[in-house]
Amino acid sequence: MAQKRPKNPKPGVCIPWEQKHKELGKLSGNEELIKRIWEDNEALAYTYIWHCLLSF
Amino acid sequence: MAQDTEQLYRSRLKRYVTAMRNEKPDMIPIRPFVAEFTAKYAGYTCQEVTQDYEKAFAAARKCAADFDWDAVVGNMVYVWSGITQAIGLKYYAVPGVELPIDVGFQYKEPPEDKAFMKPEEYDRFIEDPTEFLFNVWLPRVSTEVSAPGESATFRSNLSFLKGGMAMMKYFGGFGTQAELLRKESGTVSAISGIFKAPFDILADKLRGYLGLITDLFERPDKVLAACEALMPHLTHVALSGADPQKNVPIGFWMHRGCVPFVSRVHFEKFYWPTLKPVIEQVWSHGHQVLFYAEGNWDAHLDSFAELPDASIVYHVDMGDIFEVHKRIGHKFCISGGVPNYLLAKGNSDELRKCCRNIIDGVAKDGGYIMDASAIVQNDAKIENIKAMTDFTREYGVY
Repeated sequence: MAQKRPKNPKPGVCIPWEQKHKELGKLSGNEELIKRIWEDNEALAYTYIWHCLLSF
Repeated sequence: MAQDTEQLYRSRLKRYVTAMRNEKPDMIPIRPFVAEFTAKYAGYTCQEVTQDYEKAFAAARKCAADFDWDAVVGNMVYVWSGITQAIGLKYYAVPGVELPIDVGFQYKEPPEDKAFMKPEEYDRFIEDPTEFLFNVWLPRVSTEVSAPGESATFRSNLSFLKGGMAMMKYFGGFGTQAELLRKESGTVSAISGIFKAPFDILADKLRGYLGLITDLFERPDKVLAACEALMPHLTHVALSGADPQKNVPIGFWMHRGCVPFVSRVHFEKFYWPTLKPVIEQVWSHGHQVLFYAEGNWDAHLDSFAELPDASIVYHVDMGDIFEVHKRIGHKFCISGGVPNYLLAKGNSDELRKCCRNIIDGVAKDGGYIMDASAIVQNDAKIENIKAMTDFTREYGVY
Protein backbone atom coordinates (compact mmCIF):
# COMPACT_ATOMS: atom_id res chain seq x y z
CA MET A 1 0.00 0.00 0.00
CA ALA A 2 1.36 3.44 -0.96
CA GLN A 3 2.54 5.52 1.97
CA LYS A 4 2.75 9.25 2.51
CA ARG A 5 5.88 10.93 1.19
CA PRO A 6 8.33 12.10 3.84
CA LYS A 7 8.69 15.87 4.16
CA ASN A 8 11.13 17.70 1.92
CA PRO A 9 12.37 14.87 -0.26
CA LYS A 10 15.68 15.74 -1.85
CA PRO A 11 15.86 17.01 -5.44
CA GLY A 12 15.60 14.31 -8.07
CA VAL A 13 13.11 12.28 -6.05
CA CYS A 14 9.37 11.85 -6.37
CA ILE A 15 8.82 8.61 -4.44
CA PRO A 16 11.89 7.85 -2.31
CA TRP A 17 13.48 4.44 -2.63
CA GLU A 18 13.04 3.85 1.11
CA GLN A 19 9.26 4.17 0.69
CA LYS A 20 9.19 1.88 -2.35
CA HIS A 21 11.44 -0.67 -0.63
CA LYS A 22 8.98 -0.96 2.26
CA GLU A 23 6.19 -1.60 -0.24
CA LEU A 24 8.21 -4.30 -2.05
CA GLY A 25 9.09 -6.08 1.17
CA LYS A 26 11.89 -8.62 1.27
CA LEU A 27 13.86 -8.64 -1.96
CA SER A 28 15.15 -11.84 -3.48
CA GLY A 29 18.08 -10.34 -5.38
CA ASN A 30 20.44 -7.41 -5.77
CA GLU A 31 18.94 -4.49 -3.85
CA GLU A 32 21.44 -1.97 -5.18
CA LEU A 33 20.50 -2.78 -8.75
CA ILE A 34 16.79 -2.31 -8.06
CA LYS A 35 17.47 0.90 -6.14
CA ARG A 36 19.63 2.36 -8.92
CA ILE A 37 17.10 1.76 -11.65
CA TRP A 38 14.27 3.00 -9.44
CA GLU A 39 16.15 6.21 -8.75
CA ASP A 40 17.15 6.65 -12.41
CA ASN A 41 13.49 6.52 -13.41
CA GLU A 42 12.54 8.76 -10.52
CA ALA A 43 14.88 11.36 -11.99
CA LEU A 44 12.97 11.23 -15.29
CA ALA A 45 9.64 11.99 -13.60
CA TYR A 46 11.27 14.69 -11.50
CA THR A 47 12.81 16.24 -14.61
CA TYR A 48 9.40 16.22 -16.28
CA ILE A 49 7.57 18.22 -13.65
CA TRP A 50 10.39 20.66 -12.97
CA HIS A 51 10.85 21.38 -16.65
CA CYS A 52 7.09 21.86 -17.00
CA LEU A 53 7.56 24.62 -14.42
CA LEU A 54 10.88 25.99 -15.60
CA SER A 55 10.99 25.52 -19.36
CA PHE A 56 7.37 25.44 -20.52
CA MET B 1 36.24 20.32 -45.61
CA ALA B 2 35.28 18.46 -42.45
CA GLN B 3 38.68 19.22 -40.96
CA ASP B 4 38.31 22.91 -41.86
CA THR B 5 34.91 23.04 -40.20
CA GLU B 6 36.25 21.36 -37.10
CA GLN B 7 39.15 23.79 -37.03
CA LEU B 8 36.66 26.65 -37.38
CA TYR B 9 34.62 25.20 -34.49
CA ARG B 10 37.68 24.97 -32.27
CA SER B 11 38.74 28.53 -32.99
CA ARG B 12 35.22 29.81 -32.35
CA LEU B 13 34.93 27.84 -29.10
CA LYS B 14 38.26 29.18 -27.90
CA ARG B 15 37.21 32.73 -28.79
CA TYR B 16 33.84 32.41 -27.07
CA VAL B 17 35.17 30.77 -23.91
CA THR B 18 38.10 33.17 -23.63
CA ALA B 19 35.76 36.15 -23.71
CA MET B 20 33.42 34.54 -21.20
CA ARG B 21 36.31 34.11 -18.78
CA ASN B 22 36.72 37.90 -19.11
CA GLU B 23 39.93 37.66 -21.10
CA LYS B 24 40.90 38.94 -24.52
CA PRO B 25 40.43 36.52 -27.42
CA ASP B 26 41.60 37.02 -31.01
CA MET B 27 38.47 38.98 -31.84
CA ILE B 28 35.10 39.84 -30.33
CA PRO B 29 32.82 36.77 -30.33
CA ILE B 30 29.40 37.12 -31.93
CA ARG B 31 26.59 35.23 -30.20
CA PRO B 32 23.16 36.56 -31.17
CA PHE B 33 20.19 35.07 -29.34
CA VAL B 34 18.06 34.77 -32.46
CA ALA B 35 14.58 33.32 -32.05
CA GLU B 36 11.80 34.07 -34.56
CA PHE B 37 14.39 35.93 -36.63
CA THR B 38 15.65 32.52 -37.74
CA ALA B 39 12.19 31.76 -39.12
CA LYS B 40 12.16 35.00 -41.08
CA TYR B 41 15.61 34.29 -42.49
CA ALA B 42 14.91 30.66 -43.36
CA GLY B 43 11.50 31.35 -44.91
CA TYR B 44 9.29 29.85 -42.21
CA THR B 45 6.36 31.36 -40.36
CA CYS B 46 6.41 31.76 -36.57
CA GLN B 47 3.80 29.03 -36.47
CA GLU B 48 6.10 26.62 -38.26
CA VAL B 49 9.08 27.09 -35.96
CA THR B 50 6.91 27.12 -32.83
CA GLN B 51 4.97 23.98 -33.70
CA ASP B 52 7.65 21.97 -35.54
CA TYR B 53 10.92 22.05 -33.65
CA GLU B 54 12.79 20.33 -36.47
CA LYS B 55 12.06 23.40 -38.59
CA ALA B 56 13.24 25.60 -35.73
CA PHE B 57 16.47 23.61 -35.54
CA ALA B 58 16.88 23.80 -39.32
CA ALA B 59 16.29 27.56 -39.30
CA ALA B 60 18.93 28.07 -36.60
CA ARG B 61 21.40 25.96 -38.57
CA LYS B 62 20.73 27.92 -41.76
CA CYS B 63 21.48 31.16 -39.94
CA ALA B 64 24.61 29.64 -38.43
CA ALA B 65 25.78 28.53 -41.87
CA ASP B 66 25.18 31.89 -43.54
CA PHE B 67 26.26 34.32 -40.81
CA ASP B 68 29.77 34.33 -39.35
CA TRP B 69 28.63 33.80 -35.77
CA ASP B 70 30.70 32.06 -33.15
CA ALA B 71 27.81 30.70 -31.14
CA VAL B 72 24.07 30.39 -31.36
CA VAL B 73 21.35 28.83 -29.22
CA GLY B 74 20.20 25.52 -30.71
CA ASN B 75 16.60 26.70 -30.69
CA MET B 76 15.74 30.04 -29.12
CA VAL B 77 12.04 29.57 -29.99
CA TYR B 78 12.42 27.38 -26.97
CA VAL B 79 8.80 26.70 -26.00
CA TRP B 80 7.85 23.95 -28.38
CA SER B 81 4.07 24.03 -28.60
CA GLY B 82 3.98 20.28 -29.22
CA ILE B 83 4.75 19.83 -25.52
CA THR B 84 2.47 22.61 -24.29
CA GLN B 85 -0.36 21.13 -26.33
CA ALA B 86 0.34 17.56 -25.19
CA ILE B 87 0.26 18.62 -21.54
CA GLY B 88 -2.67 20.97 -22.17
CA LEU B 89 -1.00 24.04 -20.70
CA LYS B 90 -3.48 26.88 -20.44
CA TYR B 91 -1.03 29.76 -20.27
CA TYR B 92 0.29 29.98 -23.80
CA ALA B 93 -1.11 31.67 -26.86
CA VAL B 94 0.37 29.98 -29.89
CA PRO B 95 0.84 31.29 -33.44
CA GLY B 96 -1.57 29.55 -35.79
CA VAL B 97 -3.90 28.67 -32.92
CA GLU B 98 -4.81 31.79 -30.94
CA LEU B 99 -2.34 34.15 -32.62
CA PRO B 100 -1.63 35.13 -36.23
CA ILE B 101 0.91 32.85 -37.86
CA ASP B 102 3.70 35.41 -37.75
CA VAL B 103 3.43 36.49 -34.13
CA GLY B 104 5.65 34.81 -31.56
CA PHE B 105 4.09 32.71 -28.80
CA GLN B 106 2.87 34.61 -25.71
CA TYR B 107 2.67 33.72 -22.04
CA LYS B 108 -0.72 34.53 -20.54
CA GLU B 109 -0.53 35.40 -16.85
CA PRO B 110 -3.83 34.54 -15.12
CA PRO B 111 -5.80 37.22 -13.28
CA GLU B 112 -4.86 37.65 -9.63
CA ASP B 113 -7.84 35.71 -8.28
CA LYS B 114 -7.04 32.78 -10.55
CA ALA B 115 -3.35 32.49 -9.73
CA PHE B 116 -2.01 28.96 -10.09
CA MET B 117 -1.10 28.83 -6.42
CA LYS B 118 -3.47 30.20 -3.77
CA PRO B 119 -2.12 32.18 -0.82
CA GLU B 120 -3.31 29.52 1.66
CA GLU B 121 -1.25 26.88 -0.18
CA TYR B 122 2.20 28.21 0.75
CA ASP B 123 2.73 25.71 3.54
CA ARG B 124 1.97 22.72 1.35
CA PHE B 125 4.28 24.07 -1.34
CA ILE B 126 7.08 24.76 1.12
CA GLU B 127 6.81 21.28 2.67
CA ASP B 128 7.21 19.48 -0.65
CA PRO B 129 7.43 21.53 -3.85
CA THR B 130 7.57 18.46 -6.14
CA GLU B 131 4.40 16.98 -4.66
CA PHE B 132 2.65 20.34 -4.94
CA LEU B 133 3.64 20.73 -8.56
CA PHE B 134 2.38 17.28 -9.52
CA ASN B 135 -0.80 17.18 -7.44
CA VAL B 136 -2.00 20.79 -7.32
CA TRP B 137 -0.19 23.00 -9.83
CA LEU B 138 -0.19 20.71 -12.88
CA PRO B 139 -3.90 19.84 -12.72
CA ARG B 140 -4.63 23.54 -12.29
CA VAL B 141 -2.55 24.73 -15.29
CA SER B 142 -3.60 21.89 -17.58
CA THR B 143 -6.82 21.31 -19.48
CA GLU B 144 -6.09 17.57 -19.43
CA VAL B 145 -4.63 16.49 -16.09
CA SER B 146 -6.90 15.17 -13.32
CA ALA B 147 -6.05 16.04 -9.75
CA PRO B 148 -5.72 13.32 -7.08
CA GLY B 149 -9.21 12.49 -5.84
CA GLU B 150 -10.78 13.23 -9.21
CA SER B 151 -11.55 10.41 -11.61
CA ALA B 152 -8.60 9.34 -13.68
CA THR B 153 -9.35 10.02 -17.33
CA PHE B 154 -8.08 8.75 -20.64
CA ARG B 155 -6.94 12.26 -21.52
CA SER B 156 -5.18 12.79 -18.22
CA ASN B 157 -3.22 9.58 -18.66
CA LEU B 158 -2.45 10.52 -22.25
CA SER B 159 -1.17 13.94 -21.29
CA PHE B 160 1.49 12.41 -19.03
CA LEU B 161 2.49 9.86 -21.62
CA LYS B 162 2.56 12.28 -24.54
CA GLY B 163 4.10 15.10 -22.52
CA GLY B 164 6.84 12.91 -21.10
CA MET B 165 7.76 11.26 -24.36
CA ALA B 166 7.55 14.53 -26.28
CA MET B 167 9.82 16.20 -23.74
CA MET B 168 12.35 13.40 -23.97
CA LYS B 169 12.32 13.57 -27.77
CA TYR B 170 12.67 17.35 -27.82
CA PHE B 171 15.48 17.56 -25.28
CA GLY B 172 17.30 14.72 -27.03
CA GLY B 173 17.05 16.76 -30.21
CA PHE B 174 19.20 19.49 -28.69
CA GLY B 175 22.12 17.11 -28.46
CA THR B 176 21.79 16.24 -32.13
CA GLN B 177 21.39 19.93 -32.97
CA ALA B 178 24.62 20.81 -31.16
CA GLU B 179 26.49 18.17 -33.14
CA LEU B 180 25.00 19.36 -36.44
CA LEU B 181 25.89 22.99 -35.68
CA ARG B 182 29.44 21.86 -35.03
CA LYS B 183 29.77 19.63 -38.09
CA GLU B 184 27.84 21.70 -40.65
CA SER B 185 29.03 25.20 -39.83
CA GLY B 186 31.57 24.99 -37.02
CA THR B 187 29.21 26.89 -34.70
CA VAL B 188 29.19 26.54 -30.94
CA SER B 189 25.97 25.79 -29.08
CA ALA B 190 25.85 28.89 -26.90
CA ILE B 191 24.33 27.72 -23.61
CA SER B 192 23.51 24.51 -21.80
CA GLY B 193 21.02 24.13 -19.00
CA ILE B 194 18.36 26.43 -17.66
CA PHE B 195 17.85 28.36 -14.45
CA LYS B 196 15.41 30.93 -13.11
CA ALA B 197 15.48 32.70 -9.77
CA PRO B 198 13.20 31.28 -7.06
CA PHE B 199 11.51 34.66 -6.71
CA ASP B 200 10.81 34.86 -10.45
CA ILE B 201 9.39 31.31 -10.53
CA LEU B 202 7.07 32.20 -7.67
CA ALA B 203 5.85 35.26 -9.58
CA ASP B 204 5.81 33.80 -13.10
CA LYS B 205 4.24 30.41 -12.60
CA LEU B 206 2.71 30.19 -9.13
CA ARG B 207 1.37 33.33 -7.44
CA GLY B 208 1.49 35.70 -10.44
CA TYR B 209 3.22 39.05 -10.24
CA LEU B 210 0.34 40.89 -8.54
CA GLY B 211 -0.27 38.03 -6.13
CA LEU B 212 3.38 37.92 -5.14
CA ILE B 213 3.56 41.67 -4.61
CA THR B 214 0.60 41.39 -2.25
CA ASP B 215 2.28 38.45 -0.50
CA LEU B 216 5.39 40.54 0.10
CA PHE B 217 3.30 42.73 2.38
CA GLU B 218 0.80 40.24 3.78
CA ARG B 219 2.89 37.08 4.25
CA PRO B 220 6.57 37.90 3.68
CA ASP B 221 7.81 34.99 5.77
CA LYS B 222 5.97 32.57 3.50
CA VAL B 223 7.45 34.19 0.39
CA LEU B 224 10.96 33.80 1.78
CA ALA B 225 10.34 30.21 2.86
CA ALA B 226 8.90 29.35 -0.56
CA CYS B 227 11.93 30.84 -2.30
CA GLU B 228 14.21 28.88 0.01
CA ALA B 229 12.25 25.68 -0.69
CA LEU B 230 12.76 26.23 -4.41
CA MET B 231 16.52 26.78 -4.18
CA PRO B 232 17.76 23.16 -4.02
CA HIS B 233 15.43 22.05 -6.79
CA LEU B 234 16.32 24.85 -9.18
CA THR B 235 20.01 24.27 -8.45
CA HIS B 236 19.60 20.57 -9.19
CA VAL B 237 17.81 21.20 -12.48
CA ALA B 238 20.41 23.78 -13.54
CA LEU B 239 23.30 21.43 -12.83
CA SER B 240 21.58 18.47 -14.49
CA GLY B 241 21.49 20.31 -17.82
CA ALA B 242 24.87 22.00 -17.57
CA ASP B 243 27.68 21.52 -20.10
CA PRO B 244 29.69 18.48 -18.97
CA GLN B 245 32.77 20.10 -20.57
CA LYS B 246 32.15 23.27 -18.54
CA ASN B 247 32.70 25.47 -21.58
CA VAL B 248 29.36 27.19 -22.14
CA PRO B 249 27.22 28.72 -19.40
CA ILE B 250 23.85 27.83 -17.93
CA GLY B 251 21.18 30.21 -19.22
CA PHE B 252 19.55 32.24 -16.41
CA TRP B 253 16.42 34.08 -17.55
CA MET B 254 15.83 37.04 -15.27
CA HIS B 255 12.35 38.50 -15.13
CA ARG B 256 10.64 40.78 -12.62
CA GLY B 257 12.79 40.68 -9.51
CA CYS B 258 14.41 44.07 -10.09
CA VAL B 259 13.55 47.68 -9.28
CA PRO B 260 10.95 48.98 -10.18
CA PHE B 261 8.99 45.73 -10.31
CA VAL B 262 9.92 45.32 -6.65
CA SER B 263 11.51 47.72 -4.19
CA ARG B 264 15.23 47.69 -3.47
CA VAL B 265 14.45 46.34 0.00
CA HIS B 266 12.47 43.46 -1.47
CA PHE B 267 15.29 42.67 -3.87
CA GLU B 268 17.79 42.62 -1.00
CA LYS B 269 15.59 40.63 1.36
CA PHE B 270 13.96 38.11 -0.99
CA TYR B 271 15.41 37.98 -4.49
CA TRP B 272 19.11 38.20 -3.86
CA PRO B 273 19.54 36.04 -0.73
CA THR B 274 17.74 33.17 -2.48
CA LEU B 275 19.70 33.60 -5.69
CA LYS B 276 23.29 34.36 -4.69
CA PRO B 277 23.94 31.03 -2.92
CA VAL B 278 22.70 29.12 -5.95
CA ILE B 279 25.06 30.95 -8.30
CA GLU B 280 27.93 30.35 -5.89
CA GLN B 281 27.08 26.67 -5.63
CA VAL B 282 26.83 26.30 -9.41
CA TRP B 283 30.21 28.04 -9.76
CA SER B 284 31.72 25.70 -7.19
CA HIS B 285 30.90 22.92 -9.67
CA GLY B 286 32.78 24.81 -12.38
CA HIS B 287 29.83 26.20 -14.33
CA GLN B 288 29.32 29.81 -15.32
CA VAL B 289 25.82 31.27 -15.38
CA LEU B 290 24.68 33.67 -18.09
CA PHE B 291 22.69 36.42 -16.35
CA TYR B 292 20.28 37.24 -19.16
CA ALA B 293 19.17 40.46 -17.46
CA GLU B 294 16.06 41.28 -19.45
CA GLY B 295 14.95 44.83 -18.80
CA ASN B 296 17.15 47.07 -16.69
CA TRP B 297 18.95 45.63 -13.65
CA ASP B 298 21.41 48.52 -13.18
CA ALA B 299 20.01 49.19 -9.70
CA HIS B 300 21.50 45.90 -8.52
CA LEU B 301 24.99 45.89 -9.99
CA ASP B 302 26.56 46.23 -6.56
CA SER B 303 24.85 43.00 -5.50
CA PHE B 304 26.01 41.17 -8.61
CA ALA B 305 29.54 42.41 -7.91
CA GLU B 306 29.51 40.26 -4.76
CA LEU B 307 29.74 37.14 -6.91
CA PRO B 308 33.11 35.48 -7.55
CA ASP B 309 35.12 36.78 -10.49
CA ALA B 310 34.14 35.17 -13.83
CA SER B 311 31.33 33.18 -12.20
CA ILE B 312 28.81 34.84 -14.48
CA VAL B 313 28.48 36.36 -17.93
CA TYR B 314 26.32 39.46 -17.66
CA HIS B 315 23.98 40.26 -20.54
CA VAL B 316 22.73 43.83 -20.97
CA ASP B 317 19.26 44.55 -22.32
CA MET B 318 17.93 47.99 -21.42
CA GLY B 319 20.61 48.77 -18.86
CA ASP B 320 23.42 51.22 -19.59
CA ILE B 321 26.15 48.98 -20.96
CA PHE B 322 28.83 51.58 -20.31
CA GLU B 323 27.81 51.91 -16.66
CA VAL B 324 27.65 48.12 -16.38
CA HIS B 325 31.16 47.86 -17.76
CA LYS B 326 32.39 50.50 -15.35
CA ARG B 327 30.86 48.83 -12.31
CA ILE B 328 31.34 45.10 -13.00
CA GLY B 329 33.30 44.78 -16.24
CA HIS B 330 36.50 44.09 -14.29
CA LYS B 331 34.86 40.96 -12.83
CA PHE B 332 32.59 39.58 -15.53
CA CYS B 333 32.31 39.28 -19.28
CA ILE B 334 29.50 41.44 -20.67
CA SER B 335 27.31 40.73 -23.69
CA GLY B 336 24.56 42.51 -25.57
CA GLY B 337 23.66 46.18 -25.70
CA VAL B 338 22.59 46.54 -29.37
CA PRO B 339 18.97 47.70 -29.06
CA ASN B 340 16.35 45.51 -30.69
CA TYR B 341 14.45 48.59 -31.84
CA LEU B 342 17.51 49.58 -33.84
CA LEU B 343 17.71 46.15 -35.43
CA ALA B 344 14.04 46.45 -36.37
CA LYS B 345 13.70 50.11 -37.32
CA GLY B 346 17.20 51.45 -37.91
CA ASN B 347 19.46 51.32 -40.92
CA SER B 348 22.83 49.71 -41.42
CA ASP B 349 24.77 52.92 -40.79
CA GLU B 350 23.05 53.37 -37.44
CA LEU B 351 23.83 49.77 -36.56
CA ARG B 352 27.48 50.15 -37.39
CA LYS B 353 27.72 53.34 -35.36
CA CYS B 354 26.06 51.63 -32.39
CA CYS B 355 28.36 48.63 -32.57
CA ARG B 356 31.40 50.90 -32.84
CA ASN B 357 30.34 52.84 -29.73
CA ILE B 358 29.84 49.65 -27.76
CA ILE B 359 33.12 48.10 -28.90
CA ASP B 360 35.04 51.31 -28.19
CA GLY B 361 33.36 51.70 -24.81
CA VAL B 362 33.41 48.22 -23.31
CA ALA B 363 35.39 45.75 -25.42
CA LYS B 364 38.93 47.11 -25.53
CA ASP B 365 40.27 44.74 -22.90
CA GLY B 366 38.29 41.72 -24.03
CA GLY B 367 35.46 40.25 -21.98
CA TYR B 368 32.73 41.35 -24.38
CA ILE B 369 30.39 39.37 -26.63
CA MET B 370 28.43 41.05 -29.42
CA ASP B 371 24.68 40.44 -29.27
CA ALA B 372 21.37 42.24 -29.45
CA SER B 373 19.86 43.51 -26.22
CA ALA B 374 17.01 41.04 -26.19
CA ILE B 375 15.90 37.89 -27.98
CA VAL B 376 15.80 38.71 -31.68
CA GLN B 377 12.38 38.14 -33.20
CA ASN B 378 11.02 38.47 -36.68
CA ASP B 379 10.89 42.26 -36.62
CA ALA B 380 14.67 42.51 -37.00
CA LYS B 381 15.81 43.43 -40.49
CA ILE B 382 18.10 40.87 -42.09
CA GLU B 383 20.41 43.60 -43.40
CA ASN B 384 20.83 44.97 -39.89
CA ILE B 385 21.78 41.59 -38.45
CA LYS B 386 24.26 41.32 -41.29
CA ALA B 387 25.61 44.80 -40.59
CA MET B 388 26.06 43.97 -36.89
CA THR B 389 27.88 40.76 -37.81
CA ASP B 390 30.09 42.13 -40.58
CA PHE B 391 31.06 45.26 -38.68
CA THR B 392 32.01 43.31 -35.59
CA ARG B 393 34.17 40.98 -37.64
CA GLU B 394 35.89 43.92 -39.28
CA TYR B 395 36.24 46.27 -36.31
CA GLY B 396 36.35 43.77 -33.47
CA VAL B 397 39.77 42.25 -34.07
CA TYR B 398 42.24 42.61 -31.21
